[in-house]
Amino acid sequence: MSSSGNRTNRRDLLKGTAALAPIVALAGSRALADGRIKHDDWASSAPAPAHPTTADYKPTFFTADEYAFLIAACSRLIPQDEHGPGATELGVPQYIDRQMVTPWADGGIWYMQGPFFPAKPEFGYQASLTPKQQFQQGIKAIDALCQKQFQKPFAGLAPTQQDDLLKGIEKGTVSSPDLPLKTFFTSFLLKTVMEGYFCDPMYGGNKDMAAWTMIAYPGVRADYLEWVGEAKPYPYGPVSMYGARG
Amino acid sequence: MSRMRNGLLGLSALVVVGVVAVAAVALHKPEPQISDALAQRKPDVTRGAYVAVLGDCVACHTSKDGKPFAGGVPFETPVGTVYSSNITPDKDTGIGTYTFPDFVRLMRFGVTPSGGRVYPAMPYTAYAKVSDEDLQDLFAYMQHGVTAENAPSRKDGMTWPLSMRWPLALWNIAFHDDSRFVPDVPKDTAWNRGAYLVQGLTHCGTCHTPRGIALQEKDVNGTSNLFLSGSVLDGSSPINLRGNIGDGLGRWSVGDIAEVLKTGVNIHSAIAGPMAEVVEHSTQYMSDDDVKAVAIYLKTLPPAPDEGRATFAASDATIKTVLAGKETSPGGRMFMDSCAACHRESGKGETLAFPKLAGNPSVLSADPSSLIAIILNGARLPSTAGAPTGLAMPPFGWRYGDADVAQLASFVRASWGNGASAVTADEVSKVRARVEPSRAKAQPLAASTDRVTAGAGSR
Repeated sequence: MSSSGNRTNRRDLLKGTAALAPIVALAGSRALADGRIKHDDWASSAPAPAHPTTADYKPTFFTADEYAFLIAACSRLIPQDEHGPGATELGVPQYIDRQMVTPWADGGIWYMQGPFFPAKPEFGYQASLTPKQQFQQGIKAIDALCQKQFQKPFAGLAPTQQDDLLKGIEKGTVSSPDLPLKTFFTSFLLKTVMEGYFCDPMYGGNKDMAAWTMIAYPGVRADYLEWVGEAKPYPYGPVSMYGARG
Repeated sequence: MSRMRNGLLGLSALVVVGVVAVAAVALHKPEPQISDALAQRKPDVTRGAYVAVLGDCVACHTSKDGKPFAGGVPFETPVGTVYSSNITPDKDTGIGTYTFPDFVRLMRFGVTPSGGRVYPAMPYTAYAKVSDEDLQDLFAYMQHGVTAENAPSRKDGMTWPLSMRWPLALWNIAFHDDSRFVPDVPKDTAWNRGAYLVQGLTHCGTCHTPRGIALQEKDVNGTSNLFLSGSVLDGSSPINLRGNIGDGLGRWSVGDIAEVLKTGVNIHSAIAGPMAEVVEHSTQYMSDDDVKAVAIYLKTLPPAPDEGRATFAASDATIKTVLAGKETSPGGRMFMDSCAACHRESGKGETLAFPKLAGNPSVLSADPSSLIAIILNGARLPSTAGAPTGLAMPPFGWRYGDADVAQLASFVRASWGNGASAVTADEVSKVRARVEPSRAKAQPLAASTDRVTAGAGSR
C-alpha cells in the first residue's frame, strides 16, 4: 500500500516540524540578545539609520579583486544607456558591500540548519551557504572560469565577453565544478543588483533616487488617491524614506 | 533721629504683625460645615463610583501599571515634579483614617487632616464646586468601594523655596474660591447640570482655562470669556472650548461635542494626547444625559475675544494648487510626502478615522504645542466602547528637523481655509525637548550626508 509510506513520511515531517519550533524560537531569542534585532518603542516606528551612497566609498567586506568583479558585473547587468543611469553609477556595488555586514548576509534571518536537500524552487533556498559565502565563492568560481578561458579575471574582459558569460550562467550552459553558478547568479547576484538599484537611498544604492525618477515611481508617499483617474502623469518627483526629494 | 527710630519701630511692628498674620493663615485649618440633613443621609457607594469617574480620579491617582488609586503619578509642573498621593483606604499610606469632614476639607480647601497643604495640581479649586451629596457618595466609594493598597507617597521633586507648602495658604487666600456651585435658575436643568459638571467634578478648566502669573486659573466660575478659552500645558495646548469659529467649538453641534466625549472622534476632529486619557477613563463612561448636558452648557459659552486667534473659512485653493502640480512650498511638499496619505490633500481626512485638519481646533489653537507634539511624536486615539480601534499616527520627529516641522505645521495652519499664525523652529525645539528628549539635539535627517553608525562599517 503506497499510502502507508506516505503516512510514515508525513509523520516524520510533522515530528521534524515540531522539533524545529524550539530551535527557531531559540534562534530568534539569540538574535535579540545579540542586539542584532533591537526593540524599542521609538525605533520600532523609525527606519534604520540612513547610509546613502558616498563618492569615496571604500569596500569594507569585499577584497579589491572581488569589488572589481562587482563593479564590472553591475555595469553589465544594468548598464548606463539612453534610458537612465547604470547600477554602478547608482552605487549598487556599495549597496552590496554594505549588505555583507547585515544579519541577512550570515543567514541570520533564515533557518540555516540541515538537512540540505536539493529541492524544487517553490521550497525556497535550500543550500547550506550563507549569502556572504555565495558571493565570495561565486565571484571566485567565475573569476577562475575566466582565468582558465581568457587568462584574465571577469573584470578584465570586454563587455561582450562579459555579457556572453553571464547569459551562459543564467541559462545554465556555463557551469563550474566549485558551485552551482546559476543559483548564485539568479538568487544572489542579479537579485541583489536589482535591489540596490531600486532600493530606498538609505540603504546605499539608488543614488539620488535616479532609478525611481527613471521609471517615474514617486517613492514612499504611500497614497495618490487624488490623482487616480487623472489622464496625465503624476506631477511630483520621488521622495525617499528620510524625506529627501528627487 | 527720633523720626527714624519711630519709623524703624513701626516697620518692626509691621513685620511682627505680618509674621503673626501669615502664621495664623498658614496654620489655619478650615472646618467644613456638615449639616444635620447631610449627616443623616445614607451615602450611595454605587453613585460614588460614578462620581469618581466624572472626577477622573484615576487619571492622576493611578500610575501606569499601578494599582487603582494608589498614586505615584508624576506631574511635570513649571516649578518641579509633583507626585500624586495614595487615595486608597489604606490606614498608613492612604486615606483610611480620614473622616468625612477631613475628606471635605481636602476636596474643597486643599488642606490635609494634619493641616498640611496640597498643591493646586489637585483640582480642589474645581472640586470646591461639588455638592455635599456628591462628595459624600464619593467618600463612601473611596472608603468602601476601593481596595486598600500600602504604597507610600513619593517625595516631590521641587526645590526650595517652592518645596515649602505653607505659602499655599496665602495662595488660597489670593486665588481660591471655595464656594459651591450656584444654579442659574432661569436656565434649564440640563444647562445647570452641564455647568455644574464642567466647573466642578469634570474640572475642565484645570487644563482648558488659561493660568495667571501664580499659575491660578483666570476664571473658575465661567463668568468671563477667559473661562475654558484654551491654555498651554506640559507640551500640549488644550483647546479653546468656547464658541469661536476658528480655534473654538463654534462650528460644532451639541451632538458633535457629545460624540467626541463619548467616542474620542467626531466629524470635525479627534482626541489625542492628554485628553485621550480623559476620554478613555472618564467621559466615555458619562451617562448620555450628562454628556449632553456638558455639550449644552459649552455651546452657550460666547466666543473669547478674537484678537490673536485663528480664523477658518473653508477654501479649495490649497488642493487646486496641489492637483495642478504647482505646490512648491517646503511645508506643502512635506505634507504631501508624509501626511496626505491619511489626512488627504484636501485636509479633510477620512471621517471618524483620520482627523480632519481643515478647521480642526487642535490645529488652529493659538499655541501650536499640540500640533507640534503630534507631528514629532505621533498620537493615538483613545480606545472607547464607541470607537474601539484606537487608531495611531506614527511619529515624524525622526524624519524632520525643527525648521522642517515649523514649515510643515505652518502650512497645515494656513491651508484649506485655516487661518492660524505661523510656527517657528524655536517653538518646535521647545516641544521636542519635552516630548522627544532623546532626540532633542538631532539634526534634520533628510540631508544626504553619510551616517554610517557603529557596527555597519566593520565585519
